Amino acid sequence: MTRQIRTIAELDRVIHEPGRLMLVALLSAVESSDFLYLQHETEMNKGTLSSHLWKLEEAGYVDVSKTYRGKVPQTLLRLTPSGRKAFEQYRKKVKEAL
Amino acid sequence: MDEIGSFLNRPKAYCNIDGVGELGLGFMGLGYAAIEWLKLHSPRNSVWNQMYTRFIWIGVMCAIIHYGTKAIKNHITFPRTGFVEYRKRDTLWLPLIVSFVVSAMVSAGVVFALHRRWNLTTPVSLFGLVFAAAYAYGIARTAVRWKWGVVGVMVIGSLIIATLPAHVVGAVANHSWITRQFRAELVGATLLNITLYGATTLISGGISFWLYLRHTSVPSQGSE
Repeated sequence: MTRQIRTIAELDRVIHEPGRLMLVALLSAVESSDFLYLQHETEMNKGTLSSHLWKLEEAGYVDVSKTYRGKVPQTLLRLTPSGRKAFEQYRKKVKEAL
Repeated sequence: MDEIGSFLNRPKAYCNIDGVGELGLGFMGLGYAAIEWLKLHSPRNSVWNQMYTRFIWIGVMCAIIHYGTKAIKNHITFPRTGFVEYRKRDTLWLPLIVSFVVSAMVSAGVVFALHRRWNLTTPVSLFGLVFAAAYAYGIARTAVRWKWGVVGVMVIGSLIIATLPAHVVGAVANHSWITRQFRAELVGATLLNITLYGATTLISGGISFWLYLRHTSVPSQGSE
């Protein structure tokens, strides 16, 4: 039991938040996606999504780049190698705790 | 953990959110059935029975599917529900390896059976069930329930083809030069199954595309 609690306490807080966990799980399954796709899948509003992405970017887990698709501005997001590693470790720890 | 698993699978399901994948499969199935029908009902030395015609036909179909899909994704899907770039290993290697292994095994089996002069009519008649199983596997990871009805249509259609009298199924290939090499009902069952799969997939893709257009719209531009 103590070991379980310790494992839960060691979980990455940046990823553990449900909104960010959804985003990291989605981004881990793709090479990259745009802001609109994440908004469509998570049904978050723009403000909430931006705030979560900013936290993930600050932690070095997500790489954000602004480009254009034709004449339309596009925000491309991809998980960094450290983001992938952190997500894999998070999943491993959750499995251990359960 | 199940919740995480569902999010990990969402990008794969997103690939056919607009039904374009099914439209492509259905188009390929019907196109292939069309060239097979032309081959059956043309003289043996006609242009439709040349290998290069088949390569050109399939090449043109692949080009239409490739550029058509690209155009729909770029002009309709990405502006409405977003852009996804898939990981290369997911999109290229696994389907290629699976297709190669399955094709090699089926081809070897068919050659072996023909060599032994086995009657393949019944297995070929039921081949539609394999198509239905493959389709069911593809839609199982999506939450679109009505597509199970399409699986039902495929299964029932395939069973009907398998239970039709031999002369009815064989009528598809009657008077064709190919009946000197293969039984007419064998050729007929193959063609009917490919047509059934192509038509049901194309209709299902068309319905998905129509529903996608109905339920989505291009969002207004704003800061992200």
